[in-house]
Amino acid sequence: MKAPQNGRGSNDVSHGCENRRLSGRLLAKSVPYAKASDGMTVVSARPSEWVRPVTSKEPASAIIEIDRVSQVFQTSARRDHVALSDISLTIEERAFVSILGPSGCGKSTLLYIVGGFVTPTSGAAKMKGQAITGPGPDRGPVFQEFALFPWKTVLGNVMYGPRQQGVRATEAEAQSLALIEMVGLKGYENFYPKELSGGMKQRVALARTLAYHPEVLLMDEPFGALDAHTRTRLQNDLLNIWERDRKTVLFVTHSVDEAVFLSDKVVMMSKSPGRIREVIDIDLPRPRRRSELLLDPRYQKYVVDIERMFDESDEAGIAS
Amino acid sequence: MISPAALIRRAAPVLACIGLLVVWQVASLVLKNDSFPTAVEAIRAIPDILGDKEALLNILASLRRMALGFCVAVLIAIPLGLLMGRSRSVAAFFNPLLMVIYPVPKAALMPIIMLWLGVGDITKTLVIFLGVSLPVIYHSFEGAKAVEEKMLWSGAAMGLSPAQRLVRIVLPAALPEILTGCRTGLVLALITMITSEMIARQSGAGNILFNALDMGQYDTVFAMIIIVGAMGIFLDTIFERVRARLVRWSEPQFDLPLSFS
Ligand SMILES: Nc1ncnc2c1ncn2[C@@H]1O[C@H](COP(=O)(O)OP(=O)(O)OP(=O)(O)O)[C@@H](O)[C@H]1O
Ligand SMILES: [Mg+2]
Repeated sequence: MKAPQNGRGSNDVSHGCENRRLSGRLLAKSVPYAKASDGMTVVSARPSEWVRPVTSKEPASAIIEIDRVSQVFQTSARRDHVALSDISLTIEERAFVSILGPSGCGKSTLLYIVGGFVTPTSGAAKMKGQAITGPGPDRGPVFQEFALFPWKTVLGNVMYGPRQQGVRATEAEAQSLALIEMVGLKGYENFYPKELSGGMKQRVALARTLAYHPEVLLMDEPFGALDAHTRTRLQNDLLNIWERDRKTVLFVTHSVDEAVFLSDKVVMMSKSPGRIREVIDIDLPRPRRRSELLLDPRYQKYVVDIERMFDESDEAGIAS
Repeated sequence: MISPAALIRRAAPVLACIGLLVVWQVASLVLKNDSFPTAVEAIRAIPDILGDKEALLNILASLRRMALGFCVAVLIAIPLGLLMGRSRSVAAFFNPLLMVIYPVPKAALMPIIMLWLGVGDITKTLVIFLGVSLPVIYHSFEGAKAVEEKMLWSGAAMGLSPAQRLVRIVLPAALPEILTGCRTGLVLALITMITSEMIARQSGAGNILFNALDMGQYDTVFAMIIIVGAMGIFLDTIFERVRARLVRWSEPQFDLPLSFS
């Protein structure tokens, strides 16, 4: 199966289609992007000039394959409610993929299916070729609701996964303390979740999941409930962490900026029933700096194009 | 140095008790009823009871039955309640059963149980067990039901089996609710303890109380009421201390606990 699929969006939006054809490239895998971007100073770049893609020799290997997945919910009011319809998507190893779409289009449901928390009505999801039948430590979820263990301190929460995996207490503690420092919570090790702010809880949730080294991070609107400032800071932190150890990330969001800023690939979904509308490769150099990116016309174009697509799907939704 | 506000807070329970005794004393003096001794008379009778070896053994026997009934109830009710809260089929099986037992005053079952098991310790302990079980099951059930699903999912992703999730996530997450049930259960244990001894008069604190009533020793009756009440307050206070310590992580920061101390 070819890696990135176009959704079944019928009308072709004139968005960097040139760009979309460059899909075969290896996503970000130890590619010296910094050099590429140095050559092209942000200000001088004209919108039409795209960074030449660094075509890689080895093909990107798929880590997650979602194959014609549909999810139908039995609801009390509307009997059969189709939340996801015929979703196919391949996610390459070490890629940062965002799922973007209006509220209720099934983003969370899709993430839960990959996590193994929900079994799809039809179709199948695979992780490294193996059918996903349940949750496992190879896929680490970070929920929008944090879902921290309130009876455990920050340290206890972060240590929970490693301890469960049989890591010795002293070792697990040392690793966890390092992680807590990395997410910027040094000094809060012995606080209980109720004593933390929303942003701090989100950091703990991230550290707790990173602590057991999942190969894939599944993040469901992790920054959705945060104020703009904290959100920006956590986005930067997440990028730094990700650029350091390049896990595969599946990131659900409804913020266009966030999706473009963070991702290698943005999967746009549409509503009723939830379908993939478009898969857009984001060809922006890494490491990404927010201050540079906001001025970058390529970034701006991505944001504007995707927002326009959003509006169109809204209008389509109203019309029907 | 204790601040005046803290001093008032500390003294409040004592003042409340003194106030109650004063009202009692005055009411008794005004009513001049033989079966309503003054507070002073009742308090004077307390050392006599506690000094009597026989009476003391009776009270200890009561407490032993109560402790046994309470502990067995808690040990069975918590797992059952948690399982019911997490498993539809377990809940479906036990729900009708509990719904039948729930509204029945447990003491009303005593005559039947006495027929089967006699008037000894087993019957009384069983009644205490029944009295304690239901609130503990109910609160464990509600607590387990309310556990956030994403918390269980997080545990599953870390590799916890369903049984491990029940013990290591559902149990601690539901603990505040469970302990609320246990606290109710503790008071109910004391109440059923006395009632059971009222029905099966053979030994125990309740027996002393009702014997004294039969013989018209009203100061002893009221002294026993004070003793039983004090036991209740003491047990509840100890339990509340332990509870507060166990669920410190869940308590709102500034909160006046509903307890005697
Ligand atoms: N357990 C469920 N039972 C019935 N319907 C459900 C259930 N979970 C989700 N749905 C429905 O499926 C659809 C998709 O839900 P989902 O939570 O995946 O949306 P979402 O894209 O994550 O939305 P949001 O951005 O608001 O979080 C919704 O219409 C919702 O009503
Ligand atoms: Mg969602």
